[in-house]
Amino acid sequence: MSVRADLAEAYRVASLHAVSPGARFDGARRRAIAQAALDAYLDPAPAPPWVRPYGDLALDVAHRLGAHAATITREWYEQVITEGLHPLEWVEVVGVVITSLPSAAFARAAGLDLPALPTAVAGTPHGREADELAPARLNFVPVAAPADQVAAVVQALSALPDEWDVLWLLAGAQYMSDRQMDDPLWNRGTLSRPQMELVASRLAALRDCLF
Amino acid sequence: MLSWSSREAGDDATALPHGAELRAFAEAVAGHDDDALTRARAALVAATDERFMLDAAAVAANFEMMTRVADGTGSLLRQ
Repeated sequence: MSVRADLAEAYRVASLHAVSPGARFDGARRRAIAQAALDAYLDPAPAPPWVRPYGDLALDVAHRLGAHAATITREWYEQVITEGLHPLEWVEVVGVVITSLPSAAFARAAGLDLPALPTAVAGTPHGREADELAPARLNFVPVAAPADQVAAVVQALSALPDEWDVLWLLAGAQYMSDRQMDDPLWNRGTLSRPQMELVASRLAALRDCLF
Repeated sequence: MLSWSSREAGDDATALPHGAELRAFAEAVAGHDDDALTRARAALVAATDERFMLDAAAVAANFEMMTRVADGTGSLLRQ
């Protein structure tokens, strides 16, 4: 099967990003977070949402995001933060999970071999964060200031610009870019826009995503 | 974005060309039955072609990602 070159490149960039030093975690830690999420995502009978299989805050958040994302609540977020995970570490865990999981999801859907995570990239965390952070009404995580000027999913990872960049790189290759979304007739010559939205809405509904 | 998608798609998948095959494919992707996914994928390719199925798989992967962005950051719709 011939995967579009731009899609294959987006997955290559995202997978490498997931195992490279981030704002607060080094590459080895990020790879462990990604692997925990992938294992949970691919497990047909994962531990229930209230079980923390790793006894490690970041890995347990990754596990729950992989297997039971819809069960994550503000209360659980606040509990985990109270137990010691920094809010920007939480955002980084989300960033690692959502940049590592899509290539596996695509491969499984398409009937391709599941990709292995790359080897972790050496180096120390780079510390890049938004210049100014703000609490948000539309998200329980902190976001880049000013908050709540754009949709919640758009500002969701804005506290960590590197995670935000890779999220939207993937969205543009898998689905469409913001600019393409503005044109209701835009498509790739395969699925029409209503057909794309059918896949999107059915998947989101089955994932119990209320957004 | 996700609720916008739901509004755009509506409830009647069969009104769209290949809607039944696309809906079955999305449902199989969301499940853990690999045999069902294999059957749904083959039915979609038979009704369309491999390139179409690959783009459908990419859209599904995108929403495996976006649902986790929304759920993992407590994203709310603007009131």
